[in-house]
Amino acid sequence: MNPPATPAMISAHRLSKEFTVHKKEPGLRGSLRALFRRRYIVKEAVKAASFEVNEGELVGLVGANGAGKTTLVKMLAGVIHPTSGAASVLGYCPWERDNRLRRKMALIMGQKASLWWDLPAADCFLLLREIYQIPRPRFEATIEMLTEMLEVREQLKIQIRRLSLGERMKMELVAALLHEPRVVFLDEPTIGLDLTAQRAIREFLLRYLREHRPAMLLTSHYMEDIEKLCERIIILREGEIVYDGPLARVVATYAPYKVVTAHLDGAQGAWSAESAAAALGGLGEVAEAAPGVVRLHVPRAEVARSAAAVLRELPVVDVTIEEPEIGAIIERIMRERGGAER
Amino acid sequence: MTPRLFWLVYSTETRKLMTYRVDFWITAVLNFVVSITVPYFLWTAVFESAGMATVAGYTLHEMVLYYCLAVLLGRVVRGSDQLRDISTDIYEGSLSRYLLYPAGYLPFKYAQHLANLLPSVLQLALLGPAIAGVIGLPASVAISWGSIFLALAAVAIGNALYYLMSFTLQTVAFWADNIWSLIVMMRIAASLLGGLLIPLSCFPEWAQAVLAWTPFPCLYHLPVNALLGKSTFAQAAAGLATSLAWCVLFFGAARLIWRRGTLQYTGVGI
Repeated sequence: MNPPATPAMISAHRLSKEFTVHKKEPGLRGSLRALFRRRYIVKEAVKAASFEVNEGELVGLVGANGAGKTTLVKMLAGVIHPTSGAASVLGYCPWERDNRLRRKMALIMGQKASLWWDLPAADCFLLLREIYQIPRPRFEATIEMLTEMLEVREQLKIQIRRLSLGERMKMELVAALLHEPRVVFLDEPTIGLDLTAQRAIREFLLRYLREHRPAMLLTSHYMEDIEKLCERIIILREGEIVYDGPLARVVATYAPYKVVTAHLDGAQGAWSAESAAAALGGLGEVAEAAPGVVRLHVPRAEVARSAAAVLRELPVVDVTIEEPEIGAIIERIMRERGGAER
Repeated sequence: MTPRLFWLVYSTETRKLMTYRVDFWITAVLNFVVSITVPYFLWTAVFESAGMATVAGYTLHEMVLYYCLAVLLGRVVRGSDQLRDISTDIYEGSLSRYLLYPAGYLPFKYAQHLANLLPSVLQLALLGPAIAGVIGLPASVAISWGSIFLALAAVAIGNALYYLMSFTLQTVAFWADNIWSLIVMMRIAASLLGGLLIPLSCFPEWAQAVLAWTPFPCLYHLPVNALLGKSTFAQAAAGLATSLAWCVLFFGAARLIWRRGTLQYTGVGI
C-alpha cells in the first residue's frame, strides 16, 4: 500500500477576486462630473484559480501585466481577502492571519521595499528577529549563512537607502528568509536588476530551495527567471489559469512546430526575402525572411522532409533545426485571447 | 506584541529620529517662536483695548504663559507629524508588510509614535525652564508636585487619545483614498475645541459645559490648566475620567473599523 500523499503546502481552490474600480473620464470636465456622479466598474482580477504547490517545489506564475499574478500571491499570503473561493497555506487559511502561519511564511515584493529605509540592514534584521521571535544562535547562524551566500556581509552596517538596487534586493531576501519560512512567495524579485544581480539571485534561490525545501511561488516578467528556476509553471491570462504543468510540456502543447533556419549564400543568384518565401511557403509558416536568412515554423512530423526541401531548393550555406524559444511561446499564450486550454 | 518588541521598535525609531538634527532645532526654536508671537501680540492688543486686568479668567502674564505651555505640552500630546503614517500605509500599500508580521499593527505604530515624541519631550525640558526664567511665573501661579502629576497624567492620556482619534480617522483610507482633508479638520477641531487657539474659558458657559463631555479638553486645556493650578483636583479628575472613557471608545472603534477595513484592503495594484 502506498503511504498517504503529503498534503500540499499551498493549495488554492476556485480562488477569485473582484475589484470595484472608479472610472473617471479624462480632463477637468470628467473630474467635475466625478464629484457628483461616479462610475464604477467591476474588474475580475482572478477567476476561480485552483492549484497546489508541494514541499521543495518552485512554481513560476507567469502572465502579462494585469493578468492577476500579484493579486493571487497577495491572497495566498493573506494580505487581501478573496471575493470567493478557498485557500490553505500550511493548513491555515491565509487571510485569517494566524501568527503561527505568519511565522512560517514570507512574501518578497520586488517593487515594494519592506525594510526600514533610514536604518542599516543590521538594525532591520534585529527588529525582525524580535518580530519573528528567532532564538539568537539560530538568528546569527542564518544571517551569516544568507549574507555569505548573497555576498552582502560588508553592507550590513550601511543605511538601506544608501545601498544599490541589487544590494537592497539581496537584503530584502535575507530579511524575508531570516525566520526560515516553509512557504515563500516571490513577486518579481529580480525586477530592475542588472544581469549580474539577476543571476546571483537566481543562483541563491536555487541553492536555498535545494537546502531548505520550502514551497515557493514565483512571479516574474523575465523569462530567464522562469526558465532557470521553475520546472513547473502556471500561466495566467486575464485572471484565468490557462496552463498549469511542466515547463517542458508548454513547448509540445503550444508549439507543435520546430524552427528551421536556413542561411543562404548571397553570391549564388539574387535570393530576396520574397523569392525565398515564395519558394518555401508550402513547407511551413515563414516566420522570418530577410536577405540571407529564412526562418520557417515547420510541423514536427514534417521537419525532415522540409529540411531536405530547403537544402534542395535554396543555395544553403548552413541550416539549423531548433525547438522554439519557450519565452516566446509563453508570451504568445499570454497575449492570446479565448480558447483556454488546460 | 511583546514588551521587548515594543521597546525595540521604540528605540529603533528614536535612533532614526536623532539623525535629523536640523529638523530638531528648527522645530524647537523657530516653530515655537512663530507659534507664540501671534497670540502674544493679539492678546496684548485685546488686553489694552479692553482695559481689563483679566480676560476669561487670565491676566496677560498668565495668558502668555498659557500659550507657551499649550504649544510645548501640545506637541507632546500630538506627537510628531507622522500622524498621516497610517493612511499613507493604506494608500500606498505599505501596510502589506505589516499584515505579514506576527505582530499587531496598532501597537507597532504606537511604539513608533511614542518614539516620535522624544524630540518634543526634549524641547519641553529645554524650553520650559528657559521660558519660566525669561517671562517669570505670575504670583497667582504656584506649580506644585500635585499639579505636575495631574498635568503629566493629562498629557499621557491626551497623547493616547489623540493617537486613537487619529488612528480611527485614518482607517477611513480603506474606503476613501485621500483623507488629508479629514486630518486637517480634526487638527483644526482639536486646536479650537481643545484650547490651543483660545483658552476654553473664552467660550460661553453652556459651550464649556458641552465641551467638557467631548474628547478635546484633555488635549491642551486640561494639561495646561492642571499645571498652572487653574483646575481644581475634582475638575481635573473628572476631565481625565472622561478622556479615559473616550480612549476606550476610540480603541473599540479603531479595532472594529480596522477589521472591516482590512477586508477592503487591496494592497495597491492587481
